[in-house]
Amino acid sequence: MGDVVLLKNFLVVGAALFAIGLTGFVVRRNMIVMFISAEMMLQGVSLSLVAWSGYHGDWGGQMLVLFIIAVAACEAGIGLALILMLFKKSGRLDIAFWQEMREEGQPAFVDRNLPEERIEERLWPHLTPAGVEPEEQPERELHRSRV
Amino acid sequence: MMQLPLLLAQASGAPAAESAAADGAANETAALSAAWLSNLACPLLWSLIVGGIGLWLLLPSAVGRFRRTTGWLLMAVSLGLLAAYLPRMGDTFHQILFWTLAGATLLGAIATISMRSPVYSAVWFALTLLTTAGLLLFQQAQFLAVATIAVYAGAILVMFLFVLMLAQPEGHTFYDRITWGPFATTFAVLSAVAIIGGMTYEITHLDDQLLTEHVAAGKPELGIDDGATHMAGLGRVLFSQHLISVEVAGTLLLAALVGALAIVIHGRPSRAAAAIRQGGATHG
Repeated sequence: MGDVVLLKNFLVVGAALFAIGLTGFVVRRNMIVMFISAEMMLQGVSLSLVAWSGYHGDWGGQMLVLFIIAVAACEAGIGLALILMLFKKSGRLDIAFWQEMREEGQPAFVDRNLPEERIEERLWPHLTPAGVEPEEQPERELHRSRV
Repeated sequence: MMQLPLLLAQASGAPAAESAAADGAANETAALSAAWLSNLACPLLWSLIVGGIGLWLLLPSAVGRFRRTTGWLLMAVSLGLLAAYLPRMGDTFHQILFWTLAGATLLGAIATISMRSPVYSAVWFALTLLTTAGLLLFQQAQFLAVATIAVYAGAILVMFLFVLMLAQPEGHTFYDRITWGPFATTFAVLSAVAIIGGMTYEITHLDDQLLTEHVAAGKPELGIDDGATHMAGLGRVLFSQHLISVEVAGTLLLAALVGALAIVIHGRPSRAAAAIRQGGATHG
């Protein structure tokens, strides 16, 4: 017998996770981020299922989540292989590139006001070099027995 | 409650109560506005409004200098209001632990969909996964917590990063800075707000009495609290009631493996195959 308050809190968090994933799937155009958003929706559903499972004292919800994880693994494998192939064909991860597959007569989606990339976003993280550079020893290099 | 007789009198069209009906209408509007005022004081409403604006500001299409800082502040306020709206747990320690984990989960999720670099998205998604695993521990789901970390964070996320490494064009790409336009963004944010608001309202107004009766009525055959240790209980149910599902899931994994290989190989005609084809052409 579970705790009603815990159940309600969990359901709300699961619903919020699902809704955020949905927003990401609809809004983002990078195929990989869309895929991550879909996985996030699965996480939200998993939270709800586990909450009901804990509340009822039944294993059913946890079993479903177990199979969700298995199916998500399959989905990720196939989806990422597909994304790789699409990238090889188009050279970009933009899902809008594939709008030429749309139905005949549909107007094309055109990007308006592309924002300029700002300078501070162009900075890449750089790693400080670690360790000591070995000293050069020419005589040892010469005497090395070559196999 | 006071309005009910007056409303009934109005509905039956009692001629004697003309002035009373006018009074009733005035009272009714007063009551309605009072109800609206009490609605305005509801933390859920403000949480949704603030959260919607914050999410809109955080999404990659928004412009402006302080949009990120403002967006994150609004999201934090929104989460606090949502936490204030939900019912309290009995144990303060559990309450704090739960909301730390849940807050980290939701903020990580928002960061995942709002980051302009997909690598950062993947890393924030890892945070979401880890805190979700922590939440699963709350519900006696130790195995699922470990499986989430091992399979999702360990395998699927690393695969995402591999694909990003293989498929990421040079530098930042323009399609990570834009969305499908302002209409689509607004629509998506509004639908998310509607889902969260509707679900939260429905969930918090669930009938506790009814829930308890449901649980008492449907006692599971093999329950979680049957005394067996967690793994023993899980394994017993998994390999007795769900044996065929396990087999099907295994077959599905194999099929996915073969399918992924087929997709990758199909897109890349091998040189050996081309040479064989050419050789066959010359011989034939």
